[in-house]
Amino acid sequence: MTTSHLAISGVSKRFGSAVVLDDLSIGVAKGEFVSLLGPSGCGKTTLLRCIAGLLLPDAGSIQVGGAEITRLPAHKRNVGVVFQNYALFPHLTVAENIGFGLRAQGVARAAAAPRVADALALVRMSEHAGKLVTALSGGQQQRVAVARALVVRPSLLLLDEPFSALDRKLRETMQVELKHLLREVGITAIFVTHDQEEALVVSDRIAVMNAGRIEQLADPATLYQRPATLYALDFVGQSTRLSGRVLGREEGLVLVQTALGVVRAAGSFGTGSSVVIATRPEAITLDATPGMNRIEARIREISFLGSRTQLHLDLADEGDRGIAELPRLPEGLVPGALVSLGFAVPDTMLYPAA
Amino acid sequence: MRGSRDPLGLLALPGVAFLGVAFLVPLMLLLWSSIRGVDGFTWLGYWRVLGDEYYRGVILASLHLGLITTLGAFILGYPAAFALARAKGYWQVVLFALIFLPLTVSIIVKSFGWGIVLRRDGILNWLMLNLGLIERPVRMIFTEGALYAGMINVFLPFMVLPVYSVVRMMDARLPDAAATLGASPWFSFTRVTLPLSLPGVVAGASLVFSLSVAAYVTPSLLMGDRYMTMSMVMAKAFLNLRDWQLGAAMAAVMLAVAAIIVVGASLLQRRLGGR
Amino acid sequence: MQRLGIGIAWTALILTILFLLLPIVVVIPVSFTESSVFRFPPEGFSLQWYQRIRNVDGLLSALGLSAQIAALATLISLFLGTLCAIALVRGAVPGAAAITTFMVSPLMLPGLVFGIAMLQALRMVGFSDAWSSLLIAHVVVTLPFVMRTVLGSLSLFDFGMVDAARTLGCSYPAALWRVLVPNILPGFISGALFAFIASFDNYPVSIFLVDVRTKTLPIQLLNYLEISPDPTLAAVSTCLIVLTILVLILCDRMVGLRRMASI
Repeated sequence: MTTSHLAISGVSKRFGSAVVLDDLSIGVAKGEFVSLLGPSGCGKTTLLRCIAGLLLPDAGSIQVGGAEITRLPAHKRNVGVVFQNYALFPHLTVAENIGFGLRAQGVARAAAAPRVADALALVRMSEHAGKLVTALSGGQQQRVAVARALVVRPSLLLLDEPFSALDRKLRETMQVELKHLLREVGITAIFVTHDQEEALVVSDRIAVMNAGRIEQLADPATLYQRPATLYALDFVGQSTRLSGRVLGREEGLVLVQTALGVVRAAGSFGTGSSVVIATRPEAITLDATPGMNRIEARIREISFLGSRTQLHLDLADEGDRGIAELPRLPEGLVPGALVSLGFAVPDTMLYPAA
Repeated sequence: MRGSRDPLGLLALPGVAFLGVAFLVPLMLLLWSSIRGVDGFTWLGYWRVLGDEYYRGVILASLHLGLITTLGAFILGYPAAFALARAKGYWQVVLFALIFLPLTVSIIVKSFGWGIVLRRDGILNWLMLNLGLIERPVRMIFTEGALYAGMINVFLPFMVLPVYSVVRMMDARLPDAAATLGASPWFSFTRVTLPLSLPGVVAGASLVFSLSVAAYVTPSLLMGDRYMTMSMVMAKAFLNLRDWQLGAAMAAVMLAVAAIIVVGASLLQRRLGGR
Repeated sequence: MQRLGIGIAWTALILTILFLLLPIVVVIPVSFTESSVFRFPPEGFSLQWYQRIRNVDGLLSALGLSAQIAALATLISLFLGTLCAIALVRGAVPGAAAITTFMVSPLMLPGLVFGIAMLQALRMVGFSDAWSSLLIAHVVVTLPFVMRTVLGSLSLFDFGMVDAARTLGCSYPAALWRVLVPNILPGFISGALFAFIASFDNYPVSIFLVDVRTKTLPIQLLNYLEISPDPTLAAVSTCLIVLTILVLILCDRMVGLRRMASI
């Protein structure tokens, strides 16, 4: 195992009586993109500020490139940050903003100018160099913020919800563009976001955070197909869930009795335990083959989305909702109809009931 | 839609007309009388005010007083405004009220209180005697130091409040951003915080300067005739000497000073804002 | 380094507050002294000076006059100023920026100069009623304060709310009363407060317009201070201070102190 470029171990932080970071550990390899994904209040921004040096953790250590930086003040850490609202200096021009870090670190103007020019070219803002940052659009400001952080050649780049201030269309374009840019530069990047789609797009690995702890750290595909907990399942992508009780084991699989039928899944739960089974929308089909799990459910609503059709399902009496996603709109289906649905056993996930 | 809004403009008329008659007209008359002598138009008034060494000295003394007051208010008030802006929650309201309250207390009361503080048998001497700093009471009343202190006391809130409101609006993330870019706290202060606080400083300084240059009550109470300011000369000319021409000319000089400050300050603000 | 900066700032703030409150606070214990001298620390405890307030010649009538003029001037300014502010914000007035600057300009000029100008102008037209002269001058003094705060409140007000109220069933005047007035109340109240204080405490303008029989409180107090100073002055000052604090607390409850002074 290669030593991590960024190694966080046992970091804890509390504000008053609230524990915001709970014995957190994570390692990030050089050049890797990792997202900290979670709802507001889960501690992701706090962790970011600890890494940046804007906040001191109560316990634990943070190492970058093998060097211990836990107690270093922010301006000595060489960790770059792109803030949520960019925090550009309103009294300086685009070029002066980008050159700020260089001047702060004592780089002579003559030496700084070409580096600023390169950074401007990198984010394609060269023609706006003399403008005041307040005259720029949101997307342009974001690019300046990135250039400003990168020009001082940080060992690590932290990005706090960098796309949240952009409208949707721009967001999708910028996500791809930024990922490409950062790859080119070869920098290690940590993203903080609450937007699971964003995390899936930009990350090599995603850390799903919950109440100051990391629930799962995995690459997007694994996270999507094999979420470790119900929380992770709910946070990333949509799903169909059913609660049930374990009946026993059969052929190495667990048998679960649900309100809509018996379901088999891989796992190890004792007879009688309360569990939840789940599956992803695109794993559900109307043409069940033998060997698949089968349930019957009533269609609540049909949404035709062009490239796919969503069936919103009414599951058991508890009002469980399920979603099935089909590539084509099937004929003769109407809301209220009872349908037979099938999904493969390997696509079935099993969790202890919350 | 447009038509139904136009008549609203007429609502401004009473106010504007009143101010025009009650404010503008008397001022014009005053300026007019400053160039009217016994026999007709004359610049004699201005000649007396600007040509006489004594009166020139008074003008300079007033400017000097304004400068010292502004400087003192800045040295104490600028950092105080920062602390006030950073105070949390309830504290900020309380501290703000404590700075605001002195503005609402009559200047007569404050000058009177200041006299009590500085007297031979006043609180300052009492403190210093009991702390062993001095052996006999020190004379502080009617000294220039007492005047400066009194002036700063009166005008300090006018420096703190504008700087405070500008600093409060500053993005709190900016010093963080500077730090992550490698800026030391000093660099961050001088290159980010200070420049961004300048509009507040200009507003506060111009306010304090224009008010203190024209101050009347405080200098007369704390120094009397020992330190003559433009306003005191003007008042004396009108009330005691009945020398209207002199008074009007001095008044015109004060107006000119005020106008220069206002125009200068707004030019500075525009340069700072649109830069 | 950063700690040092923060330390300096807080020290400056504490010093500032102590410095500002010093002359105000010393007056209070002196008002309770037994002796007739302004010594600190005061000797004994007596309410005699408070009782003397009633007996001092012209003090109470000066107080009444100042209060009267301040109240009337404030009301007139509120009326004229609010109308003007509405016109400037909603009406298509040519040169609105210039007019705004004009309406606020008395603040920027030395009050003494205006007082003299007023005196001269009134003499020229032969107008010699001190009370009316004071009132007119004080309206000029108070109008800018009202303009600034009401204008500030109005320009932050979203007139779409009035439209919304009308679509929900209110008539135009009713909508203005129920939606506009409560929202510009802070500007109103803070303007009224500033205006009242400015008029009540005014010296430079009033000194030229008073006569032997009509004296405002600041002028009377100054007279007293020069002629026969005794702790009665401290007693009066203490009463004024307490009154001011009460008014401020009242305004804070109604509007919020910070909201008021941030305009």
